[in-house]
Amino acid sequence: MSETEDFKPKILIITNLKCSDPGADYVGQSHLEYTPNAFIMRTKDPSVFPEEFYFYCFEQGFDGVIIMSGGTDTPFKGAYEALAKMIDNVYVSMQERGIEIARLRLTAICSVCAEAFIKEMGRIVEAVEPLGPIKV
Amino acid sequence: MSEKKKVDEKNEEKVAVFICHCGGNISDVVDCEGVAEWAKKLPNVVHSEDYAFMCSDPGQKLIEEALDKGATRAIVAACSPRLHELTFQNVFRRKERNPYYFEHVNIREQVSWSHPHTKDEATEKSKRLVASGVAKVSLQGFLEAPTVEATKKTLVVGGGLGGLRAAKDLADKNVPVILVEKSPFLGGRVTQLDTLYPKDDDAKELIHELIEEVLSNELIAVHTNSEVTSFAGSIGNYDLTIKHTPRGVTSKIGEKAAKAIDICPEVVENEYDYGLTKRKAIYQKYPGSYPSYPAIDWVNCTKCGKCAEVAEGITLENDPTEQSINVGGIVLATGFKPYEPYEGEYGFGQHPNVITLPQLIRHLADNPSEELIWNGKKVERAALIHCVGSRHREDIDKPLEDGSLNYYCSRYCCTATLHMANELKDKFPDMHVFELFKEDIRSYGWGYEDYYTTASEKNVRFFSFLGEELPQVEITEKKHPLSITVTDRLTFNETMIIPTDLIVLAVGMMPEEIPDIIDMMKVPQGAERFLLSVHPKLRPVEADVDGIYLAGTVQAPMTSTEAAIGASGAAAKAAILMSKDIIELQPYVAEINESLCKGHMTCLPACSYAGAIYEAEVDGKTVARVNPALCKGCGTCVPSCPEGAIQVKGWTLDQYKAQVKALAQDPSEV
Ligand SMILES: Cc1cc2nc3c(=O)[nH]c(=O)nc-3n(C[C@H](O)[C@H](O)[C@H](O)COP(=O)(O)OP(=O)(O)OC[C@H]3O[C@@H](n4cnc5c(N)ncnc54)[C@H](O)[C@@H]3O)c2cc1C
Repeated sequence: MSETEDFKPKILIITNLKCSDPGADYVGQSHLEYTPNAFIMRTKDPSVFPEEFYFYCFEQGFDGVIIMSGGTDTPFKGAYEALAKMIDNVYVSMQERGIEIARLRLTAICSVCAEAFIKEMGRIVEAVEPLGPIKV
Repeated sequence: MSEKKKVDEKNEEKVAVFICHCGGNISDVVDCEGVAEWAKKLPNVVHSEDYAFMCSDPGQKLIEEALDKGATRAIVAACSPRLHELTFQNVFRRKERNPYYFEHVNIREQVSWSHPHTKDEATEKSKRLVASGVAKVSLQGFLEAPTVEATKKTLVVGGGLGGLRAAKDLADKNVPVILVEKSPFLGGRVTQLDTLYPKDDDAKELIHELIEEVLSNELIAVHTNSEVTSFAGSIGNYDLTIKHTPRGVTSKIGEKAAKAIDICPEVVENEYDYGLTKRKAIYQKYPGSYPSYPAIDWVNCTKCGKCAEVAEGITLENDPTEQSINVGGIVLATGFKPYEPYEGEYGFGQHPNVITLPQLIRHLADNPSEELIWNGKKVERAALIHCVGSRHREDIDKPLEDGSLNYYCSRYCCTATLHMANELKDKFPDMHVFELFKEDIRSYGWGYEDYYTTASEKNVRFFSFLGEELPQVEITEKKHPLSITVTDRLTFNETMIIPTDLIVLAVGMMPEEIPDIIDMMKVPQGAERFLLSVHPKLRPVEADVDGIYLAGTVQAPMTSTEAAIGASGAAAKAAILMSKDIIELQPYVAEINESLCKGHMTCLPACSYAGAIYEAEVDGKTVARVNPALCKGCGTCVPSCPEGAIQVKGWTLDQYKAQVKALAQDPSEV
């Protein structure tokens, strides 16, 4: 059996309190389904994380990390811009460390974006599945 | 020292875990008993059990008992924290414990409702989420909410029924109010109505009574032609800028108003009657409006000066002025707008005899007559079509310009349409009146059903169509210029053809557009674009921004009765806030470890809130400090510090890492 056969990627979903976490609730309220192998960690805002934090997530065994930010709807001034810049830097470091950048995805999900949530979940699973389990 | 302080200082990590079944909402999918049993193995857990409804009184009692038996912290795995985090934190408060030693884990919306067909995986996922909650609360440091003095003044935005009601109720509680109304006149959409169901009250009399109560109240400062242009601060202390656009006319104009209006050469569509008539660029909304003298519509005024030549009190100067205000709370009451049918929707825009219900109300109110004349011809037959712009169906109804559909029911319109059918029959007994409703009639309020009974008795004829079989309208050359074909469910799907002179579209409600307010105040909108409350049942008039309340149709389609109830609720909530001298803020703000801080001040440019981070000298050393009243706790400053000296209290990087570790760990390895 090849390494990627039957591989169900373990995904960390990082949400923010005002937008995407209610969005994730809305997914449940709408009875939409996505992979149960994805785990939500809510944050006040994902701009809090330094570069190293993402590598910590990979080291702990997450095959993919999806940041569901509030985009420019986040209640915090300048937070999304700072986050986007941080993720650009993380991508560079990931390449340097030989980690596929498809394993990290930055998205913007609003409080009623149930369909976008499902779509983005589908996208990260689709992107990570062929890569196989994380190796760090 | 109080008991509370003692427990906090001991800071023991003794966690009680509770897994809620939520009836069967969770336990039908997740093995709650199994999760609770498994959680006993987690580090720091001293107690773990599952229960049918944790939010119920007996459920809350279980937490109290665990605290009595020595637990110092707790997690509840249940519905969304947006519903009951506060409920469970209040258990801690009641026991004089620190509420921030509570953590809420969502296993309903984010587990059982999202994974109903993969029960084992849902149970495993719940275990990991519980482990993550335990890890987080175990690392919770001592948190204390900072306090601020609250400004005892409320801003009400919108001068319709909702805003006026809220302003009056607040003033009755001795709370000073600033009311800003965007348009030059008070009263909102109720002023465009004639008689109001239930009881057929005179709409203008009702709203004028309220306006007079507001205007005569010394605690309420009313500003028409005014808008909020900037917003900062937090609950208890909001700083806003109000832009006042001059009205161009003062009460000095007196009786010369008619002359000034008459001489104005600019003729534009009259929004008061939804474009049925024209008005001038200097205009009064209607005779007897508040204020009682005209205003200048600066978009259409060319400043030709003709009006000023014939009347006093006119200044053709429209440079706005700005006023800075500080208030403790805000009531949003910006109301609704009627749905505008698209060209061709049931013949709208293609034939002048297809009109909307608001238009017909205005026409009848302004043109009392024994006959209804439309487009130069007597109306012998009129058909009223329900649910236009409401209860949309995907792939059947045409989306709005932004691609969305109005799936919701606009609630006011079934009864308003029945009310109109009765009015037509009362005023014009010979007229044939038809009502075509989509599937059902929703005249749900107290006494509203009577309008249906009366209409039936008056021989109004009803037809019921399915959402996927909308009636078809044809323009004809026959005696009655319009023809409606409908598959009628009341006659077991007979195809009916209704020749008619007038088609009246019962248009739904859409939220008034307030993009600036939404952007500034970050108040969330629901899928239907109305503003969302924190909790639809338990906190229905509070926006998801502390200190901001929702009054009337800004929140959802409502009748005026419901708008007034909502507004009184919003006012009561704001008054409770105003009754406090000191307000507790969120404790989740940035904190700088001064022993690690090397004074690089890289955090300063990372922070977007002026004054939230500042430079200080401590024993000759430069350090960064945080002003908790200005810090929003976003954490954007955290990664900017090369020393790792900044954390957001209650959401520290160590807590996040512990959560990640717990989420990643296979539950069978615990
Ligand atoms: C055709 C029709 C018939 C109806 N008949 C009945 C009936 O018979 N009985 C009944 O109970 N209800 C009826 N209603 C419902 C009733 O009109 C509403 O419930 C009521 O108008 C709601 O009041 P409101 O204050 O929420 O909103 P509005 O009346 O819309 O008032 C909102 C106010 O806010 C102002 N505003 C908007 N944006 C801003 C801003 N950015 N800054 C400052 N001010 C702003 C607006 O100019 C307006 O003055 C009917 C509605 C319609 C459309």
